[in-house]
Amino acid sequence: MNIETSKESTTMVVKVTGRLDAVTSSEYEQKFNALIADGETMFIVDLENLVYISSAGLRALLATAKRIKGKKGLVSLANIGGSVKEVFDISGFGSIFPMYNSVASALTAVTG
Amino acid sequence: MQGSKSIATKLILVITLCSALIFAVTLGYNYYQSRLVLEKELEKNARNLAMSLANRVERELVSVSKVTDGVARSLETANYSETQLHSLLQATLANNQEIYGAGVAYEPYAFRRTSRLFAPFYFRKNGKINLIPLEASYTDLPYVYWDWYQIPGELGKAEWSEPYFDEGGGNILMSTCSIPFYEASGGVRHLKGVVKADITLASLTELISSVKILKTGYAALFSRNGMILAHPVKESIMNETFFSMAESRHDNALRQLGKKMVRGESGFVLYKSEGGTRNWMYYAPIRSTGWTLAVVFPEDELLENVRKLSLTMAAMGLGGIFLLSIAVIYIARSVTKPLRSLVAVTEVIASGNFDVELPSTRSSDEVGALTNSFRFMITSLKEYIRNLTETTAAKERIQSELKVATDIQASLLPRLFPAFPARSEFDVYASMDPAKEVGGDFYDFFFIDEHHLCFLIADVADKGVPAALYMMVAKTLLKSEGQRLGEPELILSCVNNILAADNDSCMFATVFCAILDTRSGEVRFANAGHNPPVIIAMDSQKPQYLALKAGFVLGPIADSVYNAERLTLKQGDTIFLYTDGVTEAKNPEEQLYGENLLLQALQDAPKGNLADLIHCIRSEVNRHANGAPQSDDITMLAITYRGAGAAIKEN
Repeated sequence: MNIETSKESTTMVVKVTGRLDAVTSSEYEQKFNALIADGETMFIVDLENLVYISSAGLRALLATAKRIKGKKGLVSLANIGGSVKEVFDISGFGSIFPMYNSVASALTAVTG
Repeated sequence: MQGSKSIATKLILVITLCSALIFAVTLGYNYYQSRLVLEKELEKNARNLAMSLANRVERELVSVSKVTDGVARSLETANYSETQLHSLLQATLANNQEIYGAGVAYEPYAFRRTSRLFAPFYFRKNGKINLIPLEASYTDLPYVYWDWYQIPGELGKAEWSEPYFDEGGGNILMSTCSIPFYEASGGVRHLKGVVKADITLASLTELISSVKILKTGYAALFSRNGMILAHPVKESIMNETFFSMAESRHDNALRQLGKKMVRGESGFVLYKSEGGTRNWMYYAPIRSTGWTLAVVFPEDELLENVRKLSLTMAAMGLGGIFLLSIAVIYIARSVTKPLRSLVAVTEVIASGNFDVELPSTRSSDEVGALTNSFRFMITSLKEYIRNLTETTAAKERIQSELKVATDIQASLLPRLFPAFPARSEFDVYASMDPAKEVGGDFYDFFFIDEHHLCFLIADVADKGVPAALYMMVAKTLLKSEGQRLGEPELILSCVNNILAADNDSCMFATVFCAILDTRSGEVRFANAGHNPPVIIAMDSQKPQYLALKAGFVLGPIADSVYNAERLTLKQGDTIFLYTDGVTEAKNPEEQLYGENLLLQALQDAPKGNLADLIHCIRSEVNRHANGAPQSDDITMLAITYRGAGAAIKEN
């Protein structure tokens, strides 16, 4: 797994590449905890290059989102597709997160 | 031991060889230079000695030739009567002890016209002076034909004869000095006769033969022809010449040397004697006679002192090198001794004993530093091994605890099949293989009332101990709430709210919960984010995934809404529940088993016995994994509806 971050005005765009599973989920959580500690509240997670997500990955996603929500923040997901989308559909996660087809539309929705 | 030995050996070898080399070069140079200086000095001394000896001989010869010359000049200036002549000769002999015999030989008819030859000769014998008339004694050949007479007459100057043994005089080595005298008449000088003086060379040769240089060095005298006149070896006197010696020895250098001597040259040469020893020789001519005087000394004796000195120095040097070697051995030992003891101690350490005492280090040299490093290493190793032991013990404890936990978890799931031997309306079979010692998957089935069987499968997020703990809570809640509420959607939402109350870590479980009415085959179910089950219908060719509403996972968010759905199982229909450990089993190439392969396997699997079906799927998954490690818990549950009639029949 690889995580890249970029700042678009007030929103932090986090691009996750590779696999989000039991091994990498703690790394994902640590990264987000650091960003939250830096005062970031608005996040768009770009999952275009995420090839696999396990239940542990879902838990990490959910735990960070809950923490951000506690700080009056918001996590939006962008570019979910393939097997990851299937997992989201089966587990009902699709109804929990705001999801967008692109980072741009997510940005528009969040800032607009 | 081997190492320390070689350090000492190497040190000794290198230092000894180097110092020996330096010493040898110094000694050699010293010897060479001393020899050069000595040779120069020697040449000077040899020349001086030879010159003084030559002068001594010369002086003696010159005194004789002067006396002879005086007689000759007297005879030229005055006419001596026979009586006067006898008196002159007697007086000459009496006044000059070194002269053995003196005489005058006249040309034919030159003394008086009456007698042809006249030659009175006086000589000493037994302390008396005797007269011998030479014209009478030379009976075979008149004296005028003898060399001693003819050569000075011809040359017109004084002539010394080759030395000879005077038979009459008792084998005394003699030489004769002959000087011509003339008569002037009418402006023309005519030879009138020759004055002859014999001298014995005994005292001269005695003097020369007695000269000793060093031990065996000597002086020698050679005649004009190379004849040996004086030599320490008496036998060679008058018996050998330079040239005869050169001939017998085939020594060309000796012959050349002889030629130089005959020419009246002087020089300093090195030559090999008959015995093969090298000798230095200085030779100088004796002008008046053309003889040669030589001083000879062997090189060995000359260099003896230098040799002795060199030997002494060599002995001292060897002693020095020996002392040096002892010093080197001492140093090498003092260096290697602590090393050796350190080696012995490290061998003990290497065998696992860390409590061994290291050798004490007084010095702060490299060995001391090494010892301190070892001490530090031992402390670190002890610390490390203690940590390792503790960690291993802790790990073993955890392992044994986990083993117990595995047993506890396994005992929580219904494992006895057939689970309800009294109930023939349905068959049920299930299995759970945790990826780790304990898992997050679970299944359950229990009767709510006589006709309603609740069955469920769940997958807690993640694996291991946290998932297992969560699983315990979820399973207990699902059973208690299931028995209390009796409706799948109510069970899920109620349990969800309880779980969500204190769930900061957002642990969750996906749950498929269903209730079978054993009388009708109707199944009411609700889903909390779990994989859709597979329906294997009797009247259909292919197994199918059940289309259902997703529903959010159980646990993280309170007040999630779950929808109740329903389906009816006909007699012989089977519902197959599984967790994603089945479909996401990976092979070494990272390929997932997948939903399609599962469907195919279910279609091909033997029908009739659920245990066979589940074991078949399990082995298919294993076959796919092909040795790759199991990454997630693998759980399956299947129920086949046999129909209410079966129960009635039974009853």
